[in-house]
Amino acid sequence: MSEIERTEIEIPEISRVEGHSAVTVDVENGKVVDVKLEVFEGTRFFERIVLGHKYDEMPHITSRICAICSTGHVLAAIKAVENIFQFSPSETEKLFRELMHLGMIIESHATHICALALPDFVGAADLSDLAGKHENEFAIWTRLRDLGASIQTVVGGRPFHPVNLHAGGLSRYPSRKELRPLLVKLERGTEDAAHLITLLKSFNLPTETELAPCFLALIPEGDSYGYFGKTIKASDGWQAPVEEYTTYLSESSVEYSHSKRSLLGTKPFMVGSMARLFFFSEKLGKTAKDIFDKSPLAQKNKRVSSLWNNFAQAIEIVEAIERATVIIEILLTSTIAGSENTDFKNKLKAGRGVGAVECPRGTLYHSYTLDESGNITAADMITPSAQNSAHIELDIRKAAELELKKAPDHLRSTLETLVRAYDPCNTCATHMVSVRQLK
Amino acid sequence: MSNNPAKPIPKVAVESLTGCAGELLVILDNLEKLVPFIRIMSFPFAQSKNEDGPLDIAFVEGSVSQPHDLEKLKRIRAKTRWLVAIGNCAVWGCVQAGSCSRCHADDMMHSVYGDTCKFEVMQAKPLEEFVKVDVRLSGCPINATQFLSVTASLLKDHLPFITHKPVCLECKLRETACVLIEKNLPCLGPVTAAGCGALCPRVGAACYGCWGPCQEPQMEAMATILQEKGYELDDVLSRLQTFGAPKELFTRMASEKN
Repeated sequence: MSEIERTEIEIPEISRVEGHSAVTVDVENGKVVDVKLEVFEGTRFFERIVLGHKYDEMPHITSRICAICSTGHVLAAIKAVENIFQFSPSETEKLFRELMHLGMIIESHATHICALALPDFVGAADLSDLAGKHENEFAIWTRLRDLGASIQTVVGGRPFHPVNLHAGGLSRYPSRKELRPLLVKLERGTEDAAHLITLLKSFNLPTETELAPCFLALIPEGDSYGYFGKTIKASDGWQAPVEEYTTYLSESSVEYSHSKRSLLGTKPFMVGSMARLFFFSEKLGKTAKDIFDKSPLAQKNKRVSSLWNNFAQAIEIVEAIERATVIIEILLTSTIAGSENTDFKNKLKAGRGVGAVECPRGTLYHSYTLDESGNITAADMITPSAQNSAHIELDIRKAAELELKKAPDHLRSTLETLVRAYDPCNTCATHMVSVRQLK
Repeated sequence: MSNNPAKPIPKVAVESLTGCAGELLVILDNLEKLVPFIRIMSFPFAQSKNEDGPLDIAFVEGSVSQPHDLEKLKRIRAKTRWLVAIGNCAVWGCVQAGSCSRCHADDMMHSVYGDTCKFEVMQAKPLEEFVKVDVRLSGCPINATQFLSVTASLLKDHLPFITHKPVCLECKLRETACVLIEKNLPCLGPVTAAGCGALCPRVGAACYGCWGPCQEPQMEAMATILQEKGYELDDVLSRLQTFGAPKELFTRMASEKN
């Protein structure tokens, strides 16, 4: 009997991602036999933390799940509460919320692409190295990040963990004087985003895993490419209202990771920029649509590597800048008046509500049940990173099989680049579940 | 930051335990201001090549919520001259500790997993429960200006002064109308540490306490005022404890409640 040759490729901590995660790949006789994405972020039990609190505290508490996508958590919480109250915000309110959300998309995507992913592609060791050797790219990041942060500060009061957004409406409506300077920054952002697209196009990808995942994304409510909706769409041909998410997502825990993972029945799936563009590229504005049409992402019957997620995010930055400009121009020419939210408290009802939004990394669900006094009696949150984790493992397996001949260090860096492309957010993924160590 | 070229450049690490990465983002966004004066030994969120070795300053965000966090914290403490707890999680324990005043970590575990499960979980706690902390810089997220001035002080070899006066002080300095008195909102400004610039009252909303308690917070007076405004004691207590204010501040109220 021949000796079985076993090796383990281990990345003990993926750097330049949000939170703490590790990857192990077990190889036997030249074949990949096991892949684990282990999220070892400490757990915070958000579903349990919020119990007994009042509905109006939900945006503040749940935004602490994650800083970089805090605006997404705030808006999902607000939508869940407003659905219980059967409250519809005014058109002005909706525009401000969309603008706020676009600020987050710009800031989060720019930070991921430039500060976390880009060093891999331009041969910089890290951000400090990037600042020294690639001043232009570094400056693009600082400006785009500042643009996203400025939008969120004007609407929400600070760059993340916003203080101005509540169920029922903003507590204060930004003035024209505050909105106008954003147009100047957006104009500059248009140039920067175009430069980022050119740059990303010029890179050679370190591996070409070809997957045809099942994509999931919210159908945008309006005519434009948007991030809010009430119905989920899947690439294998079905749709469902978000209230029914428990019927199509099966959440389970695995014993080696603090992150829960969701499957579609038994299948891994993918959410995020690639999924949204796969379905809704027709809704893009002209600039973003032209870029999309000329990219491999547009060839729907051709499989593309998940590494294209970086490029998909850049397209969304272009689109977000164009859409934010339109929103601000509408706001500048209309009467800024909020919803009549003074009597919001009086609409209190007991019941369950679900709010879903498309965050930078994919669909986020918040679900709450309230009693007659407005206290939370049950809560559930499903984050994009938890939804992507099974698919990331599938992707790592494919890439490891393809690149097994590479030297271990080289293979490790390829796999890290691949995981990073998903822009995983481990603090989000680990919102309640801990590792099971069955002794 | 030295005029003496012989003096070695200060070594700094930015590490995280269990939190939302907000402090890491604030530091990342201000990195270019610091890079000329320090050498970043370790910052896993922003760089891949991280080195071990003695440090002058370690900035640590997040609470201690699992054994892994505690081991990491002890390793960091052993190799750094200054340990700076950054953000509410590291200073007070934030929402994950706030919830523990109302339910125990083990209960949370069992409510999720049932009783048969054995894994390691800890009651979320701030850093100083376990190691000596030299500077406590709260915030949720931290204020960038405060962070830079703390860093500048430490690079000049002296401990920074951080005010722990209540949010009301910043509110008055900004001449913002009082939302507690004029709008009857459940504003926690009187018992919350300043540092944010009184952001919530500025937009007409109630401060919800995210910086953690101010110096000598008058929790009982706060609770009395809110009850007078028509808020139930349970609601008041849950708001006051959300962002990690320690249990000791509520002992009398808790005993009166029972």
